[in-house]
Amino acid sequence: MAAIKSAYAILTAAALALPLTQLCAADDQAVDFQYGHYEEGNRELVNTQSRFKPITVDSLQSKVQLKLADRIRLSLNFTQDTWSGATPITTAPLAFRGNRQRAIAPNVLSGASPYLQNDNVWVDKNFTPLLLNSTTGKYTPTNQLVHTLSSASPETRKQGDVHLGYDWDEASVEAGAGTSAEPDYQSVFGSLSGRLDFNQKLTSLNTSVSYTASDTHAMLDHDAVPYIQTSTFGERVNSVKNTFGDSVKLLTGERDDWTGHLGITQVLTKSSLMEIGTSYTSSNGYLSNPYKTTAVIFVDPLQKIGANGELKASMLAFLEQRPTERNEWTENIRVVKHISALDAVVHVDYRFFHDDWDIQAHTFSSDWIQPLENGWTITPRIRYYTQNAANFYRPYLISQQAASKVTFDSAGSPIITKYDPQRLPSHYSSDYRLSGYGALSAGVSVTKKFAKSIEFQAGAEYYTHAGNLKLGSGGEGNYADFDGYLVNASFKIDLSSLAMAEDVQPPHTHHSHHATHQHSTPAGVMFDHVLQQAGDAMVGYRYMYANQAGTMQEGLSTVNDVTLVTQACALKLCYVTPQSMSMNMHMLDLMYAPTDWLTLMLMPQFMDMHMAMRPLSGAPPSPSMMDPMGAAIAHAGHEHTTGGVGDTGFYALVNAATFGDQQINISLGISMPTGDSNIQLRDTHRQHLGYIHYGMQLGSGTWDFKPAITLTGHQAEWSWGAQLNGTKRLASSNKVGFVLGDTFQSTAWLGYDWTNWLTSSVRGIYTLQDALKGSYQGTYYQIGAMDFPRNYGGQFADIGLGINIKLPHDILLGSLINFEWLQPIHDDVNGYQLPREGALSATWSYAF
Amino acid sequence: MAYRTISSKRDNLKRFISVAATFLWFVLLSGCAPVLPWERGILAKGAMQLEPYPLKSSLLAHQYSSREAASGGGEASGGGCGCY
Repeated sequence: MAAIKSAYAILTAAALALPLTQLCAADDQAVDFQYGHYEEGNRELVNTQSRFKPITVDSLQSKVQLKLADRIRLSLNFTQDTWSGATPITTAPLAFRGNRQRAIAPNVLSGASPYLQNDNVWVDKNFTPLLLNSTTGKYTPTNQLVHTLSSASPETRKQGDVHLGYDWDEASVEAGAGTSAEPDYQSVFGSLSGRLDFNQKLTSLNTSVSYTASDTHAMLDHDAVPYIQTSTFGERVNSVKNTFGDSVKLLTGERDDWTGHLGITQVLTKSSLMEIGTSYTSSNGYLSNPYKTTAVIFVDPLQKIGANGELKASMLAFLEQRPTERNEWTENIRVVKHISALDAVVHVDYRFFHDDWDIQAHTFSSDWIQPLENGWTITPRIRYYTQNAANFYRPYLISQQAASKVTFDSAGSPIITKYDPQRLPSHYSSDYRLSGYGALSAGVSVTKKFAKSIEFQAGAEYYTHAGNLKLGSGGEGNYADFDGYLVNASFKIDLSSLAMAEDVQPPHTHHSHHATHQHSTPAGVMFDHVLQQAGDAMVGYRYMYANQAGTMQEGLSTVNDVTLVTQACALKLCYVTPQSMSMNMHMLDLMYAPTDWLTLMLMPQFMDMHMAMRPLSGAPPSPSMMDPMGAAIAHAGHEHTTGGVGDTGFYALVNAATFGDQQINISLGISMPTGDSNIQLRDTHRQHLGYIHYGMQLGSGTWDFKPAITLTGHQAEWSWGAQLNGTKRLASSNKVGFVLGDTFQSTAWLGYDWTNWLTSSVRGIYTLQDALKGSYQGTYYQIGAMDFPRNYGGQFADIGLGINIKLPHDILLGSLINFEWLQPIHDDVNGYQLPREGALSATWSYAF
Repeated sequence: MAYRTISSKRDNLKRFISVAATFLWFVLLSGCAPVLPWERGILAKGAMQLEPYPLKSSLLAHQYSSREAASGGGEASGGGCGCY
């Protein structure tokens, strides 16, 4: 009972001190990580089974909140999304067969984008599409629509933003700025917000203004471009040459978005509060989607009606044309109510959206937050969304003019008259997101809060989009229906609460010992320490960047293009060579000691990789685009990207021996194949290209054994260490036919403490890695050295220079931030490879 | 079209003023039912925050905004194209 009263007193004190909008204990200092995976189900293509993999999106988010001074707070946010898969490029009548799959070989189908255009379609006098039975010659009217899908290779977006805030007793201001970058779209944004509390902090007024400037640089889908009409391109679309000298269509556009928000939060009773808000967004510029087209059915009204009542028509594709201005208004109301009988909290939210595109949308959502025993919380959630269509939305357009007509002048010479684009509407789009529909989603998340303010959460939400879910009638047909799911997993460390706990109960001496010990380890070293006592835990974040670039090598020597052409592709000829390859890897470092002598460690990874290529001088002429090899070579003109979850490591660490100030730790680990090893390139030039280059796969595809033995020691200002580690693949082949090489690494380092918070280190590393074994069992095209297993691995030596910083206790609770740069000094590569330029490691860790 | 835009903006302005007036009324009304400082323990619970799980909310918002026309309505903050 005393504990309950104490907790209640703490909560009350927090409520008195904090502004209304942050009535709970404010996360003055906290670190959050979250992984999310969104995946859609197959689209309904009517009588055709799509072979495209639906769109998937993998997201990683991290957030660090710091308190720089008593009233000054800083928030740093990073988000990374990688997506790939198929989405609709347009919509057309089923009778026009835009959903067909194109057979390019027996049992091999290619993309459907050629069917953006069809010169042999028919409608009746009311412009109802007619389906022709080629056997019977009979026409059947049908209004059934269907999407045409287009698939995308993986692409990655990264966003970083920073917010700086200042708090008064009854007010606060915050300024934020950030940038988001993806291959075809960049934006920068800034915001200014303020809060004013009054009425004894029962009422808060919140206001903000923000601005976003975005640039589109979209390379139009080369498979679709030949079938998209250029008459409406205007100045936005221009032909440019890529690195391969191929002409591509680049669409450019700029947009500006201003948003103002005003909200008020009011405490209603001692167990309920309410928020009412309104916001206005003004958007100007290029607001269209560069990858969506609208089908226009051209019908010559002067033609003679056929014997079966049919009119000949032509279907052509146009880039969608949205207005260049949009004004959006949103009003929302939210009620939060504590249900004392169940100690639950219910959130109910309603949002009304309307804009000058005549879209009106209603969103209802509700969350029920139900605490359970032992720090568990379960939160079911339901959401319903409905919108009507934009005033320029059309699944397809009918234009009563001939697409192309041949007449003859008086001399008998043919005159070709094309359609008049001025007779098309100013604005049109068949993007299903602008149609009328409803979306219902339901999900649940489970949260476990451990002592000392560590919170894990896992959640899943199912989402279904359907025309008949629209409020009222008039929803889009079921051809546009789809469903999907979103799962997320996150953890949060509330450092402010940890600090409060430490103020009450000073940290054990082993914490400071542990911190001092780890202080000297270079950032690139793992498995160097164990936790000291049962119940100890450590969380960390590890980032690694590695880059390869420069002149290709064979063994120790650089080689020229002619050698690469003739030698680097085994018995074949090489057409391209990698120009650069970079990798970003984000790892979580979660350690826990179930007993005094054993430390368990879980290390999930999230990564992205990028490879740029160039054509080789002296390479033979590239085959035609109609040959998959030719298409694969042409596709190398684009940077190849992959990203998402990598393999997950699980390790057991023990302290094998301690003598004086030195100790030996042994780590035995397993790497689980959670990363994709079967990523494929998208179809291009209507050819199926199959698997991407081996080194671009996110995972090994095999279970791997990863042992390590580490010696560490320290005396006065000096510290040292050495480690042997390895990776042994536990299978001779992964599911797609190859296996990465085994790895052995040895390293030794020396560190010096310049002060009690700054250590520098120097390290030597030797790595031996076997070449890949096996090869893809399936379609892939070998266009360069990176497509041959023997061109992987080698012997490498590096020098590492590191800096380790122990933060002051009032910033992130005295946790550690380490940096290390690895400078290659010796690359003896297997076969032909790009030399390494270097690697950066950065770690943050906190033990408690 | 120009007339329509001006008219639409005027309507929006009226709507904005009416919402602001509602706020003011709400604030004045709220003074009638004070919740004393020592009665705010429940309000201090994490689950009583307007956004109890902000990171998850931002993930959901990003997914919704890439699939629905009525995106956000709150503060603009990048978010990318969502063109897929």
